[in-house]
Order: sequence, then structure tokens, then C-alpha cells
Amino acid sequence: MSLNPRSVYVIAKKEFADNVRNRWIVALIAIFLILTIASAFMAGEGSVGEMDLTVGVLMTISSMLVPIIAIMLGYATISGEAESGALSVVLACPIRRIEVLLGKFLGLGSVICFSIIVGFGISGMIIAGTTGHAQWGGYVAFILLTMLLGLLYVSLSMSFSALLKRRVTSLGAGVVTFFWGMIIGTIMMGLFMSTGGSMNDLISGDTSSFPDWFWFTVFLSPQDGNQMAAMLAFGQTEFMGFEFDVPWIDLSSLAFAQLLWTIVPLMLAYRWFEKRDI
Amino acid sequence: MHDPSIVIETRDLTKRFKDLLAVDSLSMKVRKGEIYGFLGPNGAGKSTTIKMIMGLFHPTSGKAYINGKPVNGGGVELRRDVGFLPERISFYDNLTPIQTLNFFCELRNVDKSVVPSLLRDVGLEDAANRKVGTFSKGMTQLLGIAQAMIGDPSIYMLDEPMGGLDARWVKTVRDKLRTLNEQGATIIFSSHILSEVQALCHRVAIIDNGRLVAEDTIDNISGGLHIRPRLWIQSTGLNEKMLSWIREIEGVEDVVAKGDTVTITCDAQARLRVMNTMQDRGLIIKDFRTLEPTLEEAFVKLLSEGGEP
Repeated sequence: MSLNPRSVYVIAKKEFADNVRNRWIVALIAIFLILTIASAFMAGEGSVGEMDLTVGVLMTISSMLVPIIAIMLGYATISGEAESGALSVVLACPIRRIEVLLGKFLGLGSVICFSIIVGFGISGMIIAGTTGHAQWGGYVAFILLTMLLGLLYVSLSMSFSALLKRRVTSLGAGVVTFFWGMIIGTIMMGLFMSTGGSMNDLISGDTSSFPDWFWFTVFLSPQDGNQMAAMLAFGQTEFMGFEFDVPWIDLSSLAFAQLLWTIVPLMLAYRWFEKRDI
Repeated sequence: MHDPSIVIETRDLTKRFKDLLAVDSLSMKVRKGEIYGFLGPNGAGKSTTIKMIMGLFHPTSGKAYINGKPVNGGGVELRRDVGFLPERISFYDNLTPIQTLNFFCELRNVDKSVVPSLLRDVGLEDAANRKVGTFSKGMTQLLGIAQAMIGDPSIYMLDEPMGGLDARWVKTVRDKLRTLNEQGATIIFSSHILSEVQALCHRVAIIDNGRLVAEDTIDNISGGLHIRPRLWIQSTGLNEKMLSWIREIEGVEDVVAKGDTVTITCDAQARLRVMNTMQDRGLIIKDFRTLEPTLEEAFVKLLSEGGEP
């Protein structure tokens, strides 16, 4: 498969420029900045809190916010443009569909990554400056993981955008995709209860009775997996109030799962986009 | 072996959407340097065929070729020679015409310095900094034509280029197509407006229900169908009795009366006999003319016969 990097760049540049023009990128940076500072004050109970505690608070919001933003950026990028007809003019140019797809992924991905780096970066410096010390290692890992979460959901949303015919249906798929990450945890919890799990253990947070498969939720739910990876990056072993100690869950297995969640949908998107009549 | 005088060709091109056979074994050839009209009623399969030629739709079977190279599998570079205007064109609403054309210049690797002159060519220079989202359908269409001209392609593939345009712009576009053709470009355009096709095209393909019904010059199509010129007469005192007298004249095939006019299909030699008879019977002929066969008649006749000419 041959690729013309110039064509990929032209598409990526357009996607990025669109989001600069419509001021989305400024709004995103502001949201991330305000969110982090607010989280820091919450974690510090009135004054600026430590980085690990701040991230703990921040994560519960960003692990929802970043997927929503990514889905908003990506859900209509193929279905919407195919429906309006704009895409047919693009594809009548000497450009391959894979180049359009990669360009869109990289363009939308850089919108998210850029605003995360700037938003979280500036607020990280504010926290470090105020508290006098910082766990930069964990914080940088958190930024990287958040960017990965963004790319993951851009890829997911592009896959259904490539498959579905209409903008409205892909909006619906976006909602389902978003809630999937939350629903799966609840389903696992339900399965756990119906297979002899104890409500007392759940309430007391005694996870010793939890079966290993229960923790598989962190691979099935990109949001849970990302949160847990960020906790591990700060050396914490508590998740949603539960202490966990499962040998096969570590930073590398989680990061690998997140990468799979990014690459596989992108490959599916390519397959569906190639076959599609535009 | 590819014949270099054929720039676009389809061989048994077929497209099936679930239970609808949109294009049915369509084989056609467009010659270099001609204006080729692609004619058919709505839903005949014109746009589907054009989209398959542009590689946007995947054919169920059969193949399309641009300059002798297969569209599917022939690489993307062959599309560099083709300027394309889709039916119901749409651009990115948030961009201005300049930004839009700049983007397509980049995609086609053409220097952006051509953009202002392209906008001037289609008369959009005054709207150069407005958002395309605020454009009327006609203005978007004109921008689409400007977009198709990027890089001076040798082939233009235009789906309903006059659709949605008011009379003034139709003339602009028609003149533009003529000029491009005079400069050597091959132009393929689809239309359901027969007069446009008749005024511009060297050859036409007529398709119906996804099948090619005819592909020839307009003269040959009309001639092959034995459509004759007709005599149109405006007169006072027309009545049933008079019409039946006209019908009995030797060489008269058909007589259709409407108000104070009558249209008569007859041999050229019978025309004078008809007029003489009418005058002898005391009618006053106010006006008369002969009507040359139109594409519309050929079209209607072909579609109603539904078969070979």
C-alpha cells in the first residue's frame, strides 16, 4: 500500500485549521485549564493541592470529558461529509482513501493532543509553582494517557462514521460508544453479584474476594482502563474506592490494551471506508 | 490496446443497490475533444454512472476507464486529468471560496495563485470572502465549476452543471463549457434539460432504467428514428371538418390542433398541398413555420419504444 504523505498532511492541516478557525481549540484549552485548577483546589481543600491528588479528582472528569470531545470531533467526519456531498469532491481528487482517513485521524488527534498538552501543561506548571514540588513523572504519564484516550475515542468515532450512512445515526453511535465505557463496569458488577459476590465486600472495599475476571473491565472499558493506568502511574493501587492487586494488570498491559482500542477501530474504519460508496 | 482518441470508456458497467439495478451493463465511449451529453430522466442512472467513473461508487461488475486506465486499480493519479462537478455539490460551510479553492489546489498539488482568476472566471470575485455556507445553490454550483477547473484538466465530468442556476448563469456556464472545449478539453455532462444538451453537445448518450438506449449525434438519433420536420400553422376558422380535410391530403401523417394552431406531420412535398387546401377552403393563414426535429422528440420516442433506435 503506497501512501503520499503530502496528501495526508493536506487533510490533517485542514482538520486542524478548521478547529482553530471555529475557536474550538481555544475553548478546549480553556476547559482543560480551568478544570485542572478547580480540581487542584478541590484536592487541596481550598488551597492548591498536590499533583497526585489533583489528578485523582481531575481524572474522574477528564475520563468522561475527553471521550465526549473526541466523539464530537469525529462522529460526522465521514458520515456527515459523505451525506452533504463534500467528501465526493475531495475523493475525486488524486488522493487515496487511506490518505483521507489518516489525515483526518492525525488532524483531529492533534486538535485533542495540542489542547491537552497546553491546557494541562500550563495548569501543571501553576500547581508545581504553587506547591513548591511536583510529581512530574506521574503528571506527564497522566497527560500522555489522556492524549491516548483522546486518540482512542477519535479512532472509535471515525470507525462508526466510516460505517454508518447518515450523520444522525453516527451521532447515536457516538452516544452508545460513550456510554459503553461506563456500562461495562456496571455489567461486570452485576455479573459479580449474580455469581456469589458479596455486597458487604463491595461496601467495605474488601477486594480479596473479587474474582480476577472482574478486573477485566479495565480492558473492556477504555475509560476505566485509562483511569487505572493513570492511578498506577502515580503508584496508587486504589481504584474506584477498591484496593486491587491483580498481577496481570500493570501500566504496560493497560497501555497495550489502550493502543489496541485505538488501532483496531482505525483498521476497521479503513476497511469500511474503502468499501463505501461515497 | 488502448485507442488514444477514447478518453472515457465503460464496459458492461453495472451497479446494483440491494434490489435496484441502477446501472445495467452500460458500455459507452467518449472521444477526445467532444462535448458529450449524458441524457436521461431522473433516476435513470446518470449520477451513478458518473460516480463509478470517478471511482466514488464501486461497480457491481464491469469496468470504467479514464485514458485507457482502469478506474479501480489504476491508481489515483489518473484523476488528475479530470475536473469533477458532482450533482448537488456541497463544500465546507465554514470556509470562504478562497479557502475552499486553496484547499483543493493543495489536494491537486496546483499553485494557489490560480485561485483569484478562477473566481473571476465564474463571477464570484465579489463573494470571495463570504462563507460558502451563506451561498445560494447557484453560487455553490459556480464555485463547484471553478473547483473543477483547478489544474486545467483535459477532461471535465459534470453532473447537471446547469442545475439550480438561473438563466443568466446558465449562459455563463454554457459559454464557459464552449470555451473550455475550444481550448481542447473533453466535456461530459449530464442533464435532463434537453435544450441544453441539444445546444452544446456533439454527441449524446441517452440512458433509461440504467441502460444505454442510444449513443450518437443528435442528427443521427433523430434521423434513425425517422422523426420528420413538422408544419406549424396559425389560422382562423379551424374546425373538425377542416381538420379531417387536412388528414385526407396525400402525404399527411398526423394532425394535431390546439386553439387556432395546427401542427401537421407530413412529407416536405405535402406542405404546399396542405396550405393550398386550407386557403382554397377559405381559411386565412396568419403565420406558419416548419419545426425541425428536437432531441426531446427523439428522447420521448426512444423512451416510449424502450428499445433500439
